[in-house]
Amino acid sequence: MALSERIERNVDLSYFEGKIPVNYVYTYGLGLENFFRSIKEKGEFLASKCPECETTYFPCKVFCERCFAEITNNYKVPGTGIVESFTVCHLNMDGSKKETPAVVGLIRIDGAEDCVFVHFLDISPEKAKIGMKVKPLLKRKQDRDGSIFDIVGFKPM
Amino acid sequence: MGQRVAIIGAGMTKFVRRAQETGKELAWQAAKAALDSCGLTLKDIDCISMGCAPDAFDGVHMKGEYLSDGSGGWRKPYMRHFVGGGTGVFAPIHGWFHVASGVFDTCLVVCSEKMSSCHPHPQGAFKTIFDHTTEQPLNPTLIWIFALEYNRYMQTYGISKRDIALVSVKNKKNAIDHPAAHLPMEITVDDVLNSELLAWPVNRLDISPASDGAAAIVLAGERTARRLTDKPVWIEGVGWNLDTAYWATRDLAYPRYVEKAARMAYEMAGIKEPKKEIEIAEPYDPFTYKELHHMEGLLLAEKGEAPQLLVDGVTQRDGDRPICPSGGLLGVGNPISAAGLMKVIEIFLQLRGEAGKRQVPGNPTCGLAQAWGDLMQIGTVIVLKNR
Repeated sequence: MALSERIERNVDLSYFEGKIPVNYVYTYGLGLENFFRSIKEKGEFLASKCPECETTYFPCKVFCERCFAEITNNYKVPGTGIVESFTVCHLNMDGSKKETPAVVGLIRIDGAEDCVFVHFLDISPEKAKIGMKVKPLLKRKQDRDGSIFDIVGFKPM
Repeated sequence: MGQRVAIIGAGMTKFVRRAQETGKELAWQAAKAALDSCGLTLKDIDCISMGCAPDAFDGVHMKGEYLSDGSGGWRKPYMRHFVGGGTGVFAPIHGWFHVASGVFDTCLVVCSEKMSSCHPHPQGAFKTIFDHTTEQPLNPTLIWIFALEYNRYMQTYGISKRDIALVSVKNKKNAIDHPAAHLPMEITVDDVLNSELLAWPVNRLDISPASDGAAAIVLAGERTARRLTDKPVWIEGVGWNLDTAYWATRDLAYPRYVEKAARMAYEMAGIKEPKKEIEIAEPYDPFTYKELHHMEGLLLAEKGEAPQLLVDGVTQRDGDRPICPSGGLLGVGNPISAAGLMKVIEIFLQLRGEAGKRQVPGNPTCGLAQAWGDLMQIGTVIVLKNR
């Protein structure tokens, strides 16, 4: 076996810095354009159901991954749901400690039960429970910009 | 099927926090060691199967091309593929296609990963595996996925963190006997539970380290394999399966895609009762609970039963069904694609009786290695036999 010495710190090696110089301009796509426009303009949540196999999707989609059918109709759901799982995050992306731990939940959406949505839970960590009912918390209409943060998070009902 | 395929040689580098070698130099070290182990040179090799994880790790897009010289790709049929963490077991499956089809007689399978170039760590690369519209703005880390699944797994079956922490104790201890290991340690369950809390329920010692390293194996068709070695280890079954593209919606308590991959491999290998016939296994263990989760998906334990097997000592190296005798990703380290291939190499060595201090008793004849990846919804499985 070709074994290399273990080197723990990068200062022990000569090195230089680099980065990938890339920026992005994304479109929402056919499905999410409707989803975010509906939240921004009406405060309403859109789901969809496959016309062939009846699999539900939230956010709404334009095709079904299971049977490949085109989905042309969306329907409104209240946005409420049940916490399928949660975690309490103590670190930021760079590894530093968060001042306040963030609670992240997986929410099974009422009326689109085949789907689980990931977002923050607006709750103190010790009160989070699998199985609790939650509802979405929206930004004020004038503050919405068509992003995922038009939903601030989900809070207990 | 064109022909039976055997693994006839293997090599790997030491797994380290930060290698001075570049990814291609690591690839070359492992590939050269694999060729040397079976007395071949590059000119004996018909084609190359190369596996490596996200291009962003190296900051070089078309990473397959970047790593081609170290992988032996010069003027050869060369293919790179990537299925996230599942890559290390998919690479030999991919190599198997080449030889089993009869198109080639020998194939060098190389997996190389240098994760330390990402500074200060690769979380930025991991963040960009998520959906750019609905998920990346939340600043997800990879640990979220595992923490959410870990919590659901515990809740569904009433499993304690204490029982799950034993995986880390077992695997890091097993790794003490692995010459390539990055994080071999003798620790206690309390050490795991008291280590830094990252994202509840995941503590620092629940997670495998990010490592640099490479691994390689040599595949040969039946006639060539029998000519070159007295101890060919046959690839008898391969399987892989992908679940939903919407990762949050997959079954969190049970990896159905791993079961589907395993059933595909078992059927090919003629395995009817995996609990009896798979004598030794290397399920993917980037996180403690994943070893248990995967044992269940591989049908080596009933749903929710794997933690009890661990507590009862069944999965120790000298137990009835040794699991991760190498030390796994938790102990040997996790240079993503190379870590999966390390598991295949461990089964290869164990079935040849060449695992040294790690050798399990009882002359095992059949084992498997499994990995898991993409957006945490692909399973890749390979079944090996020594006769």
